[in-house]
Amino acid sequence: MSTTQERLAAEKRQKLVKGGADYIDDRFGSSPFLRQAMDKIFPDHWSFMVGEIAMYCFVVLIITGIYLALFYVPSSQIITYHGSYAPLDGQKMSEAYASVINISFHVRAGLVMRQVHHWAAVVFMAAIAFHMCRVFFTGAFRKPREINWTIGLTLLMSVMLEGFSGYSLPDDLLSGTGLRVVYSIVESVPLVGTKLAFLLWGGPFPGTSLIPRLFVLHEFLFPALLVGLLSAHLAILWRQKHTDFPGPGKTETNIRGSRFFPQYMLKGGALMFLTTAVLCALGGLIQINPIWLYGPYQPYNDSAASQPDWYVGWLDGSLRLWPHWEFRSWGYEIANPFFPGILFPGILFGVMYSWPLIDAWIYKDHVAHNLLDRPRDKPFRTAVGAAALTFFSVCTLASASDVVGNDWHISYERIIVALQILVFVLPIVIGLITYRACVQLQRTGTMVIKKPVGGIIIRGGDGAYHTLGDGPHGAHAEHAAGDLTGAAHAVPNGHGGNGNGFGAPKEAPPAVRQGPGEGIAPEDEPGL
Amino acid sequence: MSRLIAASRARLGRRRRLLAGPVAVLAIGLVSFGFFAGFSGTSSATQPIVTQQKSVLEEGQYLFDEHCSSCHGAAGVGSTRAPSLIHAGAAAADFYLITGRMPLNAAGQQAMQHTPLFTTNEIEALVSYVADLPRIHSTFPGPAIPSILPLCSASTTAAAADPNCVTLSYGQQTYALNCAQCHQIGGAGGILANGMIVPSLKSAPPLVVAEAMRVGPQPMPRFGTGQLDEKQLSAVVHYVQYLHSPENRGGLPISGFGPVAEGFVGILLGFGLLLFVARMIGTRG
Amino acid sequence: MTTTDDSHHSTSFSVRPGAEGPGVGHADVPESLLPGTEEYVEDPRHYGIEHGVPWPEDVPRGQNDMHWRYEGDPKGARRAELRIAACWTVTMLCGIGLAWVYVAGGQAQIEGALLFAAFAGLGVGFVLWARDLLPGHDVIASRGGLTHVSDEADRRLAVQSLGRGLEPMARRPFLAKMLGGVLTVFGIGLLFPIASLGPRVKGQFAVTAWRRGIRAVSEDGTPVKPSDIEANGVLTVFPDTGEDLGSPAMAQSSVLLINVAFAPFQVQPGRENWHIGAVGSGDCIVGFSKICTHAGCPVSLYDWSAHKLVCPCHQSTFAVLEDCKPIFGPAPRNLAQLPLGVDSAGYIVARSDFNEPVGPGYWNRPIRVNPNTGAAVRYS
Repeated sequence: MSTTQERLAAEKRQKLVKGGADYIDDRFGSSPFLRQAMDKIFPDHWSFMVGEIAMYCFVVLIITGIYLALFYVPSSQIITYHGSYAPLDGQKMSEAYASVINISFHVRAGLVMRQVHHWAAVVFMAAIAFHMCRVFFTGAFRKPREINWTIGLTLLMSVMLEGFSGYSLPDDLLSGTGLRVVYSIVESVPLVGTKLAFLLWGGPFPGTSLIPRLFVLHEFLFPALLVGLLSAHLAILWRQKHTDFPGPGKTETNIRGSRFFPQYMLKGGALMFLTTAVLCALGGLIQINPIWLYGPYQPYNDSAASQPDWYVGWLDGSLRLWPHWEFRSWGYEIANPFFPGILFPGILFGVMYSWPLIDAWIYKDHVAHNLLDRPRDKPFRTAVGAAALTFFSVCTLASASDVVGNDWHISYERIIVALQILVFVLPIVIGLITYRACVQLQRTGTMVIKKPVGGIIIRGGDGAYHTLGDGPHGAHAEHAAGDLTGAAHAVPNGHGGNGNGFGAPKEAPPAVRQGPGEGIAPEDEPGL
Repeated sequence: MSRLIAASRARLGRRRRLLAGPVAVLAIGLVSFGFFAGFSGTSSATQPIVTQQKSVLEEGQYLFDEHCSSCHGAAGVGSTRAPSLIHAGAAAADFYLITGRMPLNAAGQQAMQHTPLFTTNEIEALVSYVADLPRIHSTFPGPAIPSILPLCSASTTAAAADPNCVTLSYGQQTYALNCAQCHQIGGAGGILANGMIVPSLKSAPPLVVAEAMRVGPQPMPRFGTGQLDEKQLSAVVHYVQYLHSPENRGGLPISGFGPVAEGFVGILLGFGLLLFVARMIGTRG
Repeated sequence: MTTTDDSHHSTSFSVRPGAEGPGVGHADVPESLLPGTEEYVEDPRHYGIEHGVPWPEDVPRGQNDMHWRYEGDPKGARRAELRIAACWTVTMLCGIGLAWVYVAGGQAQIEGALLFAAFAGLGVGFVLWARDLLPGHDVIASRGGLTHVSDEADRRLAVQSLGRGLEPMARRPFLAKMLGGVLTVFGIGLLFPIASLGPRVKGQFAVTAWRRGIRAVSEDGTPVKPSDIEANGVLTVFPDTGEDLGSPAMAQSSVLLINVAFAPFQVQPGRENWHIGAVGSGDCIVGFSKICTHAGCPVSLYDWSAHKLVCPCHQSTFAVLEDCKPIFGPAPRNLAQLPLGVDSAGYIVARSDFNEPVGPGYWNRPIRVNPNTGAAVRYS
């Protein structure tokens, strides 16, 4: 190996990079920012990557979406189909539906793009939901991140709308049925419902205006909103730095992780490619929304087992569970779908938006945090979250009542009545169980030393414990040492050491100079 | 058309084909015994018929008395436990017997598909007997076994107008309006009030589909020739056959119809895989 | 095995005095230090950065994370390189495969599998590169305080700047109020184009296309005779107005004709001649709107043995014999009944429009409408 040559090559490269950086800095003075950005540290716990997965789904959605938009025809104009798919030959259908059939049958690579697009939407919402749960259960929404929580929620809602508008574009039997239900929900809004429905649909259902309008919403308005909100979401994250789980050596004022460049960037890139890979596998191998089998939408037709995509299922389920009530007096009425279709999600999102305030009020906690809560340490919040998830799951299950009934041969009346009871009982039960489990875990989990401690533990002059001698279990020794200080908060149970996910050599966490009180758990659980 | 009927018969009776011959011989023997023993009193009043057909009728009556009359009454007049079969027609008898829906284990339950109790020949005999009931009671006949028009060789506009053949497209259209609301647009079946089951059409043979439409087996509404003419009926039959293995160019058909299945796959398989990937890439500490 | 760099321990980065305050946990924050109290501004933990302390470096110098897995093992590194190359070769081959499949006419499953393998190869390659050959294990940096807040002096300056402009403006309260009023009025004026999106609501929800004497036709446009509908049979019919079946008027008007056979259909007072054929005669045909009173889906699952209609969308169940009264599910009202008759040629016709609005509820839905004009006759 000729080291001289290598050195020369390295020098040459550095010169090149310097040239580029100088060019930019001459114009923007951006070197401090660049340095900071490259050295920016991201804690890389696996659960922090789920938000990223969502983002990469969005990237895949945009790319496949652009391709599809080039072939989709947003028109309700009725035409007669004469294509290669014989079971629809000669039928009247909207141009929109015919164009999606065309994408599926005639445009090369059209079907795989369409299916990847649809699967990406399904997985996108799953990733967002998981990400939101992670943020909720670990208290990542607390000060100073409340505003990013509200932006995240707005993103969630926008993605739901984006997803539903996309589901409705093909104008097939399934999506048309969905739109009919939405029309009725809009119509049910007190005072302005009928006017609102007319404004959205351009007149009575079904009309010919909606498909082109949905196209504008799905292709332009919602994506623009999403890009804007996502940018703000990420910019705030960048500025505030990511939260981290408590652990040895981690404090509220430091951050541990790998640098943005090259480690994090490469991992992020890898995650993007692997996300795309999974979505492509789904899109190519598993059929989704075969609209050619559903046929064109006709307002007088519908099919058994008509469901929306899963992320709207909870609303469909709430429509099924809400009893046959509507309220009428003095000639005016509040129609049935208003309660489960508008009021219920309105209240739910209202609570979710204001949760940071509610949480701060419950825990009398108005200071900023960078270290996350372990769910068990906030049993009440965790119980509320578990109950809400249960409630949501029961509602989603209700939307599949007919499918479940068909598969297991149970009458839908029994399923609905059972779920009407369970939707209230089950969240309470799950909430109570969760609460008890959290309290139990708090009592038992933290002090357990699972592996033998290597080395000698000494107590330093500052009162903290240190491990001498890097035995094979050095990390655990440190871990245990932390435990002995009574740092229930600072030492996560089960987070065995801090080895990174690649199986890279584990290393003892760097000792950080700690102040006298540092590492001692703040016992901030007000009576819970 | 007759090929289709034969095909559906063959499908249902395949296992019993070997036994059919001996059983028929035995049955005919028993029927003749019954005839000579004076069990049959009704056929003597009618005009002379071919001996062989007569014996088939006789066999039918024997089987009917043996297996059906306890509920449906002597000569199919009905009872408190089961409806009259006088106007049931050949279509109904054939449908209920070749799908094994009859005889029921207990009166009142929903008749579901089973392995047929009777052999092909026995069914033929019973069907001719039930078809003969209106003559016995001197009244109008029930629906005959429907004939099914063939698929057009081409799916052109001219073919669609041809009265002697049908297109899949016509079938899809008719199916979407008349069948999909209960059987699902993909034919996977569903449920009705009180736990009534709408059977899946994923393996229903052509003749069974056609007969079911004409008969309206409880709780399915009945489609007479005024509602669905021969062409519409045949078109639906062919579309249902198409649904047995439809165009699934998108890949693995997960239950054919449904965001429910798609949601499960997307969350558990798709997102599950990605969580696994994230766990491999990210740290766990 | 890379051991932790000494520099970790002897690290020279400065944890600012603020971060070493009396405990970072907030539970032991004296009440007096919480926001809204006097000493709030003095709490270094909250503000993170003391006045005059420069913005901290993200990764303090001295922490050396420039080590990688095969750092001292050229052979291992070479093997790692080859592994990564193999992954990326898969990607390349799949790329060629994709082009070939495309040219050959395209096939979704092969395309999906190739795309999967291509992206997976790319991704796994990057993961391996990052794991085996690139530096970067955990380093620690200061967050630059608990939060990125500015110091009090900066805040005061900002407020001053705001005030500098606001004060002179606030001195003219009349103009401020005026501007508020003007913008409100102008804003409302600007909203008007929204009205172009939809026509005015003029009772379209209460009427359908049925009128006296209009024939009922099936989907293909043929008129229907009572004898066409078998006992226990159903048929979807539309008013014979020649309009497209997908049009709003037709969407509102679809009707399900049901032959209830011998079943004891309960004729409602005032509707004695709304069905065809005597009740219990074996051929009694009734017509009900197909639009569900819950969310507007076509109600068409008919169980003749129980005489129930079920809506496939949310499983609302209607008892046909009892005037299609909802007996299960979310539907709040009966399905509307269409008055039926037979014209001189023997075809089924409507005697009039429905005498109530069909379909789901809305704010000012009348209870009864005049079936000849569509005007509301009863609101409560």
